[in-house]
Amino acid sequence: MRVTVDVKGEETHEFALEDVPTESAETAVEQPTYADLLSKIDLSPHEVSVLVDGRPVPEDQPVESEHVTVLRLIKGG
Amino acid sequence: MECNRCEEPSVMHAAYSGAHLCEAHFRESVEKRVRRRVRRDDLVPHDATPENPQTWVIGLSGGKDSVVLTQLLYDTFEEDPRIELVGLTIHEGIEGYRDKSVDACIELADDLDIRHEVVSYAEEFGVEMDDVVEDDPENMAACAYCGVFRRDLLEEYAEKLGADLMLTGHNLDDEAQTAMMNFLEGDVAQIAKHFDASLGPISEREDQDAFVPRAKPLRDVPEKEVALYAHLEDLPAHITECPHSSEAYRAEIQQLLYDLEENHPGTRHSILSGYEELAGIVANRYNGDDEEGADLRECVECGSTTTRERCRKCSLLDALV
Repeated sequence: MRVTVDVKGEETHEFALEDVPTESAETAVEQPTYADLLSKIDLSPHEVSVLVDGRPVPEDQPVESEHVTVLRLIKGG
Repeated sequence: MECNRCEEPSVMHAAYSGAHLCEAHFRESVEKRVRRRVRRDDLVPHDATPENPQTWVIGLSGGKDSVVLTQLLYDTFEEDPRIELVGLTIHEGIEGYRDKSVDACIELADDLDIRHEVVSYAEEFGVEMDDVVEDDPENMAACAYCGVFRRDLLEEYAEKLGADLMLTGHNLDDEAQTAMMNFLEGDVAQIAKHFDASLGPISEREDQDAFVPRAKPLRDVPEKEVALYAHLEDLPAHITECPHSSEAYRAEIQQLLYDLEENHPGTRHSILSGYEELAGIVANRYNGDDEEGADLRECVECGSTTTRERCRKCSLLDALV
């Protein structure tokens, strides 16, 4: 499966899910997680929110969508 | 993946606790942590009554943190006649940035029907941050000037508004970074001050007669969860980074903490809880010496409380004009 990762306000990345290393995955299945996707584009799950169809998803879950939106947290409160 | 507490789909995973939570249980968990912090920090004094209500001034920038803090405090104290909330917004004079976030503040204050004050560097000091950055007479980062000016105005207006407490939206990431920075800089006196100024339970702090006490009730909630809360509640938070933002050392510590958190979930929590315990101990120790705090006096120019003849804000303004 090919996945498009749209980092809002920045770049859009596209790659094959098979090319995503699964090092950070703690799931029983050998399938890349959203955290693995973030790791591939050098983002920490603690500095972004991951949305699928506009809904936030837990980063430790296996990627099941072809299109993922990433929102960077904005500093300053 | 289901929520740990019901059958709804989870919207987040907190690696530090192992929890997967759905939207409703996530919100509940954030609200619980903030209320627990309000209780543990003794923010509502025992002698507060409806006849003698407390005025809580919230530093409301319009970013996610202060907007979430304002909403949560409102939800908690809406029905409580002992607490009156006031939003205080500082306009620094940053083109294309602050105007929009001031709009977010106005919208929120209107929605909640709370008192809201806006004060600006332009009106108060005759300067705007966009010009300060151009001049830069002290060869410093923008945040170094802006922090001095902002603290000065928050303090001055908190007092003018009759504040019993000044609340800010610092989250767990902010405070864990500050803790690490103070520790790595070896600044033990600063750690003691941090306890008395904003971290310690109000009842355990050394009296700071000259200053309105401060509090940070969001500091148990990671930044990511504050953002998620704002998103799920559809709060009018402004989402643009300050164009002058330039805290290089803080950014380095932030990256370090992200990496540590990845391999050792819970690191930010343990840094801050250990730091708070330590801060309480060193605050006690420093308060024994009379050297600290004894030399507070009034600035010769503006009269605000300072350890110098002329306060830092007035020195910077002199350099600028």
